[in-house]
Amino acid sequence: MIIDQKKIDETIKIIKANGGHGIQKCVQCGACSAICPGVKAGFPLLCRALIKDLLNGQLEENIENSSSWGCQACNRCTEVCPQGVRPQEVVFAFRRYQANELAFSTSSVTSQMNLYETGHAVFTDPKEARRKVGLPEETPTSAFNEAAQQEIRTLMDNSPMGELGLF
Amino acid sequence: MEQIGLYLGCNIPLKNPDIEQSFRKIFPALGVQPVDLEGAGCCPAWGTAPSFDLNTWCAISSRNITIAEGKNVDIMTGCNSCFGVLSEAKHFLETPATRTAVNNSLAKINREYKGTSDIYHVGHVLHKKIGLTKIRENLKYKLDGLKIAVQTGCHTLWPSDVYKVKEDNPYYPTMLKELCEVTGATVCHYSRLEGCCGMGGMRSTDAEKSLKLFKEKLLSIKEETDADMIVTTCSSCFMQFDMSQPILKGRGEIDFEPIPTFYYTQLLALAMGFEPQQVASISQIDRNPIIAEIQSDNRRIKEGM
Amino acid sequence: MAKVGVYVCHCGSNIAGVIDVSAVRDFAESLPDVVIARKDLFMCSDSGQEMVKQDVRDGLVDRVVVAACTPRTHEPIFRAAIEKAGLNKYLFEMANIRDQASWVHGNDHEGATEKAKLAVASAVGKARYLHPLHDKFVDVTNAALVIGAGIGGISAALELANMGHKTYLVEKEPSIGGIMAQLDKTFPTNDCSACILTPMMVQAFNHPNIETLAYSEVADVDGYIGNFNVKVRQKQTYVDWKKCTGCGDCADKCPSKTPDLFNGGLSDRRAAYIMFPQAVPKKAVVDIEHCINCAGRTIGTQPKINEKTGKAILAPCERACRAGAIDRSLPLDPGGTIKEIKVGSIVVATGYQVMDKGWFKEMAPASPNVITALQLERLISATGPTGGKLLRPSDNEKPHTMTFVSCVGSRDVNFHTHCSRFCCMYMIKQARLLKEKYPDLVINMHFIDVRSAGKGYDEYYTGAREMGINFFKGKVGGLEMLPGDQLRVLAYDMEAGQSIEYNSDLVILATAVELPPDATSLAQKLGLQFCGNDFFRELHPKLGPVETAVAGLFIAGCCQGPKDIPDTVSQAKGAAAAAAVPLAQGRVKIEATISEIDSQKCSGCGICEPLCPYHAISMRDYTDRARGVIERHAVIEMSSCKGCGVCTSACPSAAIKLHGYEDEQIYAQIAALTA
Repeated sequence: MIIDQKKIDETIKIIKANGGHGIQKCVQCGACSAICPGVKAGFPLLCRALIKDLLNGQLEENIENSSSWGCQACNRCTEVCPQGVRPQEVVFAFRRYQANELAFSTSSVTSQMNLYETGHAVFTDPKEARRKVGLPEETPTSAFNEAAQQEIRTLMDNSPMGELGLF
Repeated sequence: MEQIGLYLGCNIPLKNPDIEQSFRKIFPALGVQPVDLEGAGCCPAWGTAPSFDLNTWCAISSRNITIAEGKNVDIMTGCNSCFGVLSEAKHFLETPATRTAVNNSLAKINREYKGTSDIYHVGHVLHKKIGLTKIRENLKYKLDGLKIAVQTGCHTLWPSDVYKVKEDNPYYPTMLKELCEVTGATVCHYSRLEGCCGMGGMRSTDAEKSLKLFKEKLLSIKEETDADMIVTTCSSCFMQFDMSQPILKGRGEIDFEPIPTFYYTQLLALAMGFEPQQVASISQIDRNPIIAEIQSDNRRIKEGM
Repeated sequence: MAKVGVYVCHCGSNIAGVIDVSAVRDFAESLPDVVIARKDLFMCSDSGQEMVKQDVRDGLVDRVVVAACTPRTHEPIFRAAIEKAGLNKYLFEMANIRDQASWVHGNDHEGATEKAKLAVASAVGKARYLHPLHDKFVDVTNAALVIGAGIGGISAALELANMGHKTYLVEKEPSIGGIMAQLDKTFPTNDCSACILTPMMVQAFNHPNIETLAYSEVADVDGYIGNFNVKVRQKQTYVDWKKCTGCGDCADKCPSKTPDLFNGGLSDRRAAYIMFPQAVPKKAVVDIEHCINCAGRTIGTQPKINEKTGKAILAPCERACRAGAIDRSLPLDPGGTIKEIKVGSIVVATGYQVMDKGWFKEMAPASPNVITALQLERLISATGPTGGKLLRPSDNEKPHTMTFVSCVGSRDVNFHTHCSRFCCMYMIKQARLLKEKYPDLVINMHFIDVRSAGKGYDEYYTGAREMGINFFKGKVGGLEMLPGDQLRVLAYDMEAGQSIEYNSDLVILATAVELPPDATSLAQKLGLQFCGNDFFRELHPKLGPVETAVAGLFIAGCCQGPKDIPDTVSQAKGAAAAAAVPLAQGRVKIEATISEIDSQKCSGCGICEPLCPYHAISMRDYTDRARGVIERHAVIEMSSCKGCGVCTSACPSAAIKLHGYEDEQIYAQIAALTA
């Protein structure tokens, strides 16, 4: 690995711009990775390993790595971090970098489309199940509320997500 | 009666409406009136806007919060992810620059985030607002002798600095334990109490890795507690436990029968005498035997006792 | 008319790297009354000082302004120089163009240069109005006080006593010895802590020049260098120490139990107790908070009489004491007695505490098998609760696997950002001692990194690796409680890049070193300040490591910052040497820059008296015989005055002058800054 200060600076700038403000506080103690469910389950590039790669300027090199999408956002790392790095925010900042480069699995697109169309990331027709338990067939949520759906679409259209052409 | 905004999220109203029905049954009986937040949508889930853009996340979250603000009520979520996403968004919205940017977005749909509604979880409302005594007073069945393993789930525990209600020790949570114990049941400690069930982004990214994590937790429960049931206050954990035990069983990876799993309010609704058909009828694992046990005549609490 | 000389310092590149020194010099030359302006690479060097001295000797200048660094470190140097050349040393003023210009405006060369010019103008403005002032001297009480009798305090006291100074050694516990008395062995030589400490304890206690005040605390301090008046509260022991022989019979008979803090709470002691077997002084105390007043024998009440025998019914401790040292009938004051002592200097060596495990929620604090490293010291000590056998607290079984966790609360923004400095070494020591004794014991040590800087330390660490102790780089993330009181360790192996899980029987937390809570009230009494890491602040982090902002008050040991035994002893001996200086000199200088009251102008209003933070002002009545009236004036005790100027600015009659900061001098500075 070649240490290229320009790449390091650029990487840190991108991660911070995407919400990973604490990245440079990391002292690589590894406490986050010790309790990360993702690391435990076998996603190698999470928490301290991802932060180290990013601090070495390895951004594009990892763009296709799916580890970050194994992050549960559980924030055990944030709680245990002795330096206030908030590693989950760094992982998500990296994820945002990937997402905006369209480097994510196609299965994830369904959730974005669902959200855009119904206001729910997960949508299945609930009518039968609701009838069965004695509830009105239609939920009081955005799923059956055109005005609400329009509001959510407006928010998404006017966001950086709207420029990705996912919905 | 105190009112609280019932924020449903996605999975509860669409996939597990019996959990929603259990909310609608127990809360009025315990003196808290849930108020519908009409038009509320997804929180938004971690894999959507939070994975793309921080301000879009906060805008969609704060849209949901403004619905509660308009009704002058706090928010109660049943789903841990919703609780985490909304709480974190509220935390980010404390930053003036984020709040300004988000309110500029919200202006396009004629809304403004003010920050006047707090975010609570169903478990918090039961434990902190209603209290154990009141719950005990409203029981119709006592669950003495039944063994429970609890699963609090991640997103009400960490990061503790963004939550309105905190556990004394997030690594050894006790609220759900106490809520279960009030029914008379025994709650057994197991070593992977605070462990992740593997649901969430991990399951959609790599189901096998998720199952590996889940199995480890399940074995800790089975071997260390031999619980009669698993009780959770997280709808995602509920789905993982209900859906993945039969998978492991089918593959021969576990040699015991799947342990029936309830969302806490389902268990409480049953103990309060509500109809199983309405409050606990949707699951992959057969819960009928344990439900029959819970609502058996010899567990009925006699009037005046 | 004043003849002002201005000398601008480059300070190597510290100043000249930012500021145009020549421009500042040129500017200085243009200022009123400036007769000479020069510059030099290092004004504080011999040649720099000589330049100033020569100008003074040649009669060219009679006021000196040096534009350089901070007067805190360098004013005394230049004052001494001009004094040597024959000029009153108070005819000197410093402009701090380093800290206040080049350092803080490093990116703005032009602005920094302009600011430096203003600072020089201000200093010159003041210098024109300086008058000669003269230091005063007061006699010194030839005695020292050492607060805290751990290894630091004992070392300092012995040093002072050996130099011939009467030394009071105050210790809050019933025995001297401090935390070192709790330790088993010491790194890197593995010598027994008690074996090297106990002789020093005895030596200090028996030293003809040392008066040990055990079970005592400093209640109040006033005065100043050379003449401190200290009130020491001798806590009530409820045992007559003149009679107590230290036999321990009272403790044997006392039925009331409480956790023994000397053993880290791992065992109980009685309410009547001797702190530990090697205690010095070896005397019993009754811990009245945990005393249950057997036989209704509340302190200060008369005993009931047995109707049959007619004898008094005594408490077990009273009955047990063959020396007659315990008499519960005596009306003893729980507040203790106050002893007033006078000393010339004070050394504070109050030590540290380690954080309680309860702070670390992820570390299963509820488990009895999670203990602090200081508790482990007691577990492996021959005088500890298990007689030196390693037995885990939950069931007194021998552990098979044990775990050391470093940096618990240290290097952590949630608790303490500092490195506690000696944890790495004591953990390695504990691991080595245990591995030697129990070769089958599996020892896993988890470090962020191993810090083993010190003579023989790194060899001690690498030797531990050869002994078969396992080292993992990576901080432990948490512990889970397993059935059978085991702990599951959730760790990470940085080198392998993998998470680690294993079951452990006993987990040792190296919790952070911090000041105990009572340090705050002591600091208030003494005027000590705290540094950023919440230890006592030394005067200068490099050049004044044992001095404090209060003249005559010195610090040593872990109260100044975490350090191991050799560093503590070194610092304690240094503090003792510094504390001996005023005692050896026999008199101390009172700086001339203090306030003085013009009794002709003083109206006796008394506004100044309560404002003085040093209690230096008192109101006195004078009889004006000529006019036959009694007049009231404020009077300043010059040895207490620190020259802060609060009284000067508050006096409605402008009767108080602060020498060195007189009105016309300050107006001249303002005029120069606003010109």
